[in-house]
Amino acid sequence: MAKPPPRKPKKKVCVFCQEKISYVDYKDTGLLRKFISDRGKIRARRVTGNCTQHQRDVATAIKNAREMALLPYTSTAR
Amino acid sequence: MRRYEVMVILDPSIEERAIAPSLDQFLTVVKNGGGSVEKVDIWGRRRLSYEIQKKGEGVYAVVDLTAEPAIVKELDRQLNLSETVLRTKVIRPEVH
Repeated sequence: MAKPPPRKPKKKVCVFCQEKISYVDYKDTGLLRKFISDRGKIRARRVTGNCTQHQRDVATAIKNAREMALLPYTSTAR
Repeated sequence: MRRYEVMVILDPSIEERAIAPSLDQFLTVVKNGGGSVEKVDIWGRRRLSYEIQKKGEGVYAVVDLTAEPAIVKELDRQLNLSETVLRTKVIRPEVH
């Protein structure tokens, strides 16, 4: 049995570092929606490719947006 | 003095033309306390992601202001006492 070829992980670059965005706004729901799943859960860093600091900023922004009913805590639709 | 951003969700049953005056009334405490209101942005009616007090939508407004911390605390207290306010959030955009 031949070993499966080793997977080449594609290195993702944090979109916020690329765009040089320092402040993640909780009011920008269009942007934040990219970082939640269709169930409303926050996507993991290995999925989003964000750096540590920006992942944390995104998570805080999403939680703020949830408090103000801009984003859902859960969405059972679908 | 510090910069603040205050987001308010108002009751959707409020009349369209009563929104700005009622916000002004809340913001008098800032003016009297020596603070200044930079911007009042009324988003208008918007669907809520989940129900708050059995209401499916709310009137959003975002206020940028500069004031002493105690003044903003008092503003937040008064907003929360009001029946027409569903929810508030005070944020300092500089610190994150």
